[in-house]
Order: sequence, then C-alpha cells, then structure tokens
Amino acid sequence: MSCSNLFHEQTARQRIASLVDPGSFTEFLPPPARVMSPYLPQLDIPVSFDDGIVIGRAKLGGTPLYLAAQVGQFVGGAVGEVHGAKLTGIIKASARDSIPCVFIAESGGVRLHEGSSGEIAISEAMRAVFECRAKRVPTIAVIGADIGAYGGMGILSTCCDFRIMTEHGRLGISGPIVIEKWMGKQAYDSSNRALVWKTSGGKTKFLLGDADLLADDDAASVGAAIKKLLSKSAPLTIKSVKARQQELEKRLKTFGKTTDPDAIWKVLGIKNVAEASLATATEFTALAKRK
Amino acid sequence: MKNLLEKFFGKSAKGIAVEGKLMTGYAEVAGREVCVFGTCDGTYIDNAAALRLAAHVIDCIENHRKSPIVMLVDSAGQEPNRTAEMLGLASYFGHLLSCLQLARQNGHKLITVATGKAIGGAFICYGMFGDRIDALDSASVGLMPIEAMSAVTKIPASTLEKLSKTMPSLEFGAKPFALLGGVEEVWSEKDDFATKLASAIASATTDDNRAALGKKRGGRKLALDVRNRVLAETAK
Repeated sequence: MSCSNLFHEQTARQRIASLVDPGSFTEFLPPPARVMSPYLPQLDIPVSFDDGIVIGRAKLGGTPLYLAAQVGQFVGGAVGEVHGAKLTGIIKASARDSIPCVFIAESGGVRLHEGSSGEIAISEAMRAVFECRAKRVPTIAVIGADIGAYGGMGILSTCCDFRIMTEHGRLGISGPIVIEKWMGKQAYDSSNRALVWKTSGGKTKFLLGDADLLADDDAASVGAAIKKLLSKSAPLTIKSVKARQQELEKRLKTFGKTTDPDAIWKVLGIKNVAEASLATATEFTALAKRK
Repeated sequence: MKNLLEKFFGKSAKGIAVEGKLMTGYAEVAGREVCVFGTCDGTYIDNAAALRLAAHVIDCIENHRKSPIVMLVDSAGQEPNRTAEMLGLASYFGHLLSCLQLARQNGHKLITVATGKAIGGAFICYGMFGDRIDALDSASVGLMPIEAMSAVTKIPASTLEKLSKTMPSLEFGAKPFALLGGVEEVWSEKDDFATKLASAIASATTDDNRAALGKKRGGRKLALDVRNRVLAETAK
C-alpha cells in the first residue's frame, strides 16, 4: 500500500482522478458553469461553484461509468436542491444509458439551510437509484471519508446494489453528536473516536454485511473493489428481499440488546479485536465470518 | 386512531391491526382491497418497526397481488440511538424501501397520506417513496421545524422565519411542502377521505413528478432544470 494518496484525505476531484483511467474523466456542470445554491446567499453563507458535488463520466479499466463525488469541505457535503439535482441527474443518466453509477459519498445528509428542498432531493435520488436497479444497471456507493454517509445519504447508500467501505468510512443515520445529546454522554461519548468508528465504521459494517467489500484507504484498493462489482447487480426479487428480511431479523435478535461493538466483532469471527482493529482490509476480510 | 382509520376505510378499517404505534392490515377503498400500513402518535421508527412494516409489504406482494399499498405517516423521525446505529438502522430503512420498490415493480401502486408528523428520516424511509403523496393540512410535514433548524444552524429563528415567507423550503407544514412538489395534494379535515383516497389511487403513476411540480408551483425552481441539464449534457 502506497501512502502518498490516502483516500480519506483526498478531495472529491483527487479521488476521481486517482480512481479512473488517466484522462478519461469528463465533468458535467463543472465549477465554471456556476450552477450554485440560490438559498445560501440569502443566509449570508458562501456558495460553492459546484454546490459541493462533482459529477461526470469516466472509464475504469476500460469500462464506462458515471460518477458522483461529494465535497466534504463544503458544508459537510450536505445535500441542497442543486447538489441533489446534479446527483439525481447523473443517476438517471446511468439508468437511461445502462452505464453503471459509482457514487463516492461524503455527506452528513440534508443541508439544513435549504430545509425540505434537500430532503425531497435525496428522495428523488433514491427513486433514480431504484430506476437503475429495476433495469439491472449497477449502483455502487463508496464510503471512505471520515464524514461518511449519514442521514438521508446513509439511507440512500443502503438503497444501492453494493457498498464499498474503508475503515475510515462511516455509515449511519443519526451522527454521534446528535445521539450523545439525546441519550447522554454516558451512553454515547461522541469524542470517543474508537467507539464512534466501532459503532458506524467500515469494519463493523463489513462484518455485519452492510458493506459488501472492505477496501484499504487508497485509490488502488478502492478501484480494485469497484472493478469487482461493476459487472454485477443485486436485483430485487421476492427471494432476495425475504432473505434480507431474515438476515436483519436474526441480526436484531442476536445483537439487539448489545451495547458493546466488540461483542459483535467476536460473534462474527474476530478473536483478537485489538489486532483486527489494525488489520488491513485483506487481512480483516480473511478473519471475518460473514453471515 | 380508530376514528381516523374509519374516515379512510369505513367499516373495512377493522382489518387493520394497531399494535403499539404501528398499524398493518388490509382494508377496502371503493370496494377494492388495499394493503395498509403506517405509524401513529408521532412514534419514532426503529429497526424492529422497519422490519415489521417490511414484513407486511412482503406479505402483500406474495399474497395480495397488485393491491394498492396505502402508507399513513405519523412519525417524528428515527430515534437517535447508538445500538440502533451499530446494528445498521440505515440498512433496515433501505430494506423497507427495497421491499416497496419490489412492490412497485410488481404492479402495486404506492399511496402516501401524511396524517400527523412526517419529519426527516421517518418520512424518507417510506412515505416519501410513494407514487402519489398527499397530506392532511394539519400534518407537520418537512425536514424540521424552524426552531430546531435555528438551533443546529445557529441562524436566528427570526431570520429563518422572515426568509421562509419567500422560501417555502424553510417553512414547515403540508402546504409549503406541496409548493416544493413533495406533496401532490393537501386535504382539508372537511374532505371525504375515502373519496380522496380512491381518486389518489386512481391517479397515481410510477413517474416521479415532484421536481416538475415544484417548478410549476414555484417552491423549488431549480431541481428540474438542473437535472435536465445533466441529462442533456450526458446525452451529447
């Protein structure tokens, strides 16, 4: 693993550039097009020329794909009206052209400053994801940034065919600060990074089966994971949803009263939790007893 | 709750079981069977609730071919809870949505009526996925009330309040949400719910028309155009 390009430290455009075939990326509605939020100026909040999301088309190992990457540096990658419309547009283009859609998440969810518009935007993106799935066009969420995919973006990620996570990525709905406020610091200390990542981080999600593949924190590893999934899809059938129902019921029955993530790790095959916490994605994948 | 269900389904409301704050069952609208599920009393939706609702959708797909599915929403959100998050609440919601999508693909129409609270994640995880989404004018529909938005964004509530007069997106309620296209029609308490529901079922299509509606009604002017620009540029 080279340490020059840590995926979680990269910006959205760097992530895309380091993932796809050199020179193959075309961005749509790029910053010079100045497609921006109409809401933020009225609240005296700076705008971003891309509204915090990069969308485009590229090739990966020669295979064409559409891409969306959220910009965490801009209001936490949160989804406003324009941001969400760009996302929905690119997913709908995937469905129309039968070209896989890879979505690199880095978002706390709906952009609160834009209120319900952002909420509807995420719901529209969801409909677009399922439009792809109905046509068996692969949709893949990549979650490898510290901000992770939370709120509506967390839910949207779980609607995709597949999820690739790194140990830096987090997947959830309510963030740790919100939960701490709600349950108290004793129940959830949001400053306890180890606990936060054990609760919502990539390794736990991979063990549970919510992340399909675990990648290392570099573009080569993430890219290899995407290649593995690009020609696959997970069609919705009565058989597949019933199997998932059983799996989620079993998970709730087994772990519903657990507050200790280490207990989950142990049941799911991790004998030495401390050692596994430091394991690479490949090592960890070998240790995990999935399902 | 019983009264409300009778307003929708008349005597056939007896086919709907209310257990805890969740309801599931089958009833009739205009003499035709519908599958019904939903939440009441503003309850929070957790992993178990999502599973129960999903199980009902699966039952409908398997045993009640093409029956329209009526989703009633009165839920304040997902409960912020560490164990729920650890076990992947997002995945439980994604599963419920996947079941609804399978129902859609199998010819079930999905009709939503927001009857009470329809807030944030609790609305996204099933109600907003409807083919046709209506709301009672008394319903609390939206991302969050202005006071809560102010507390998180640190923007004074008075500023948000003032801006909400010209930005329905910031306002909270069924009517502003309809201006954004997120709700097709707002029902008044005086309306005949059974008739309204029958016409909602009849007119529902699987096209997501919310962005077009938001533009037409002036509450969400950019969503449709930006999406169409992306679709045009990617087609070149």
